[in-house]
Amino acid sequence: MIPLQFVTAFLLIFMGIYAFLHKRNLIKLILALNIINAGIHLLLISLGYRLENGVLPTAPIYTGYETLKGTPMVGPIPQALVLTSIVIGVCVLALAMALTINAYKHYGSLDINKLRRLRG
Amino acid sequence: MNLLPFLIIVPLFGAFSMPLISFLGKRVRDMWAVVISAVTLGIAINVFYTIWKTNQIIVYTLGDTTPLGKGVSFPIRIVWEVDLLGALIAVTIAFVSLLAIIYSLEYMKHDTGLDKYYTLILILELGMLGIVITGDMFNFYVFLEIMSIASYALVAFRNDTWEGIEAGIKYMFVGSLASSFILLGVALLYGQYGTLTMAYLSQYITREPTFVSKVALAFILCGLLFKSGAVPVHMWLADAHPAAPSSISAMLSGLVIKAGGVYAIARILFSVYSISLNIRTLGWIIIFFACLTLIVGNAMAVVQTDMKRLFAFSSVGQIGYILLGIGIGLAAYGTDVGHVALAGAIYHTVNHAIMKALLFLVAGAVLHEVGTKNLNELSGLARRMPLTSFAFLVGAAAIVGMPPLNGFASKWLIYESSALYNPFLAAIAILGTAFCTAAYIRVLFTFFGKESEKVKVAKDPGKVMIVPMVLLIIAIIIMGLLPWQINDSIMLPTARMLEESGEYVLAVLGG
Repeated sequence: MIPLQFVTAFLLIFMGIYAFLHKRNLIKLILALNIINAGIHLLLISLGYRLENGVLPTAPIYTGYETLKGTPMVGPIPQALVLTSIVIGVCVLALAMALTINAYKHYGSLDINKLRRLRG
Repeated sequence: MNLLPFLIIVPLFGAFSMPLISFLGKRVRDMWAVVISAVTLGIAINVFYTIWKTNQIIVYTLGDTTPLGKGVSFPIRIVWEVDLLGALIAVTIAFVSLLAIIYSLEYMKHDTGLDKYYTLILILELGMLGIVITGDMFNFYVFLEIMSIASYALVAFRNDTWEGIEAGIKYMFVGSLASSFILLGVALLYGQYGTLTMAYLSQYITREPTFVSKVALAFILCGLLFKSGAVPVHMWLADAHPAAPSSISAMLSGLVIKAGGVYAIARILFSVYSISLNIRTLGWIIIFFACLTLIVGNAMAVVQTDMKRLFAFSSVGQIGYILLGIGIGLAAYGTDVGHVALAGAIYHTVNHAIMKALLFLVAGAVLHEVGTKNLNELSGLARRMPLTSFAFLVGAAAIVGMPPLNGFASKWLIYESSALYNPFLAAIAILGTAFCTAAYIRVLFTFFGKESEKVKVAKDPGKVMIVPMVLLIIAIIIMGLLPWQINDSIMLPTARMLEESGEYVLAVLGG
């Protein structure tokens, strides 16, 4: 059976893509991009969180105690990846907001369809 | 000593020390940018020469001497892995970036916030260098995003004009969606195989190519085709490349769509997925997009009235040739035809970087001196700007594929291999070149036509802008005079090294 987190992750991703294709407001497009990214982050995190022999894994802090008790840890790599990806996402978000503010100054509108002066 | 890590360290240090250095004055800041990029070029040439001489892949592990973990036989660290292809593209990147930085010393003189400009341009360079030297999927994604964010910011650098902002926003939204697709592909691969090292991943995929790995490939390819500007999704390129400052256009068109697009496609298809999938079908998918890109890109270039936009569409068309070479190289894997096609694609990648950089620098010089890039207002430029017009003549002849210049050899390899593989593809390729010729002849007639009002006071730009153009012309002519020697000694070994994915795996995992 497919774990519920995976279904949720893909739902989020497709929700984001739908919003990205159908919305016209720049702020909503930025939100759509963030929803897509959130879906991918959820997917990555849940990849590391697997039930082993029906035991819930603990946080990936290695103290030596875990091996004694026999409880598994969640995979630390996906968490590192998501952390990196969140930082990148924040950079993109900040730049997108800055560009949106500038676009509003030049065009007086946040509608993506109004940004149509470049053609040829 | 292994100089490879300094390929990243030097531009990174240069970029983030730039705001401090700029307190010392404008002249010091300019010199610092040039020195840093020159040192990077030196390191890139050294790395390339080492690999070319020994014919061995360089592997560098971050934080350790061996990629393998202690007591286990699989890699657990981030690995940088450079073969000839990576090193060759790295040299091209460092060379064109150095010239773009020298050019912008004069071109950007009247702009403000130049310390941020040089910081961003060095970050762009470092992102591209990172992409070509990395051997780890997630590290690849991180460098791709470093490159992309720097290029979004640089396209919108002149934020007092609507042009830059609009192009920046379009580029940013499309590019971020593409990056998300790539991240999704990387996440799926990690979920399926539990590793991110390309070499180790390749071993797994060859052993059991599952459905998930194919879906991941579809997402990654989709994202990379977005980034390289292949045809159904090329519209952002035609907006973003002309709107950027010309030195940046030269880097975007010459380098970014290659390092972050074509190079990455070749690396993922040949080294990571190697020959585990149905390579014939995969090759034909790439060929399909290539033919579409080739025709549409070159045909759209003919009808443009804006010079930089024409060059941008021509870039789309040339990406088509490179993709055609890669596609045939994949579909005819293991035969001589495929080998030659791949060598042609690699050769054309390097050639196009040099030619298109030259053309955009010419467009920048015209824009700087005359103040317009509309072709209808620029007729008769040749008498007033002789050096610039000569540079344009060389660049245009090279990109069309005239025999004594470098474009001829690479295009010939692609025509030859496509004719041998399937004559229909060769017909399409030649049709594309016909459109390309028409577009450039049109610009040529504009340059040498009757003198218009606007160009009466124009003159050649200053020395600092001429020098990079002259260096690019020299590179074009030298590469044009020795086409087959370069092909035999560099391009064919590079193609062979890319094709033999087994060596790529062995270099990390050991005998």
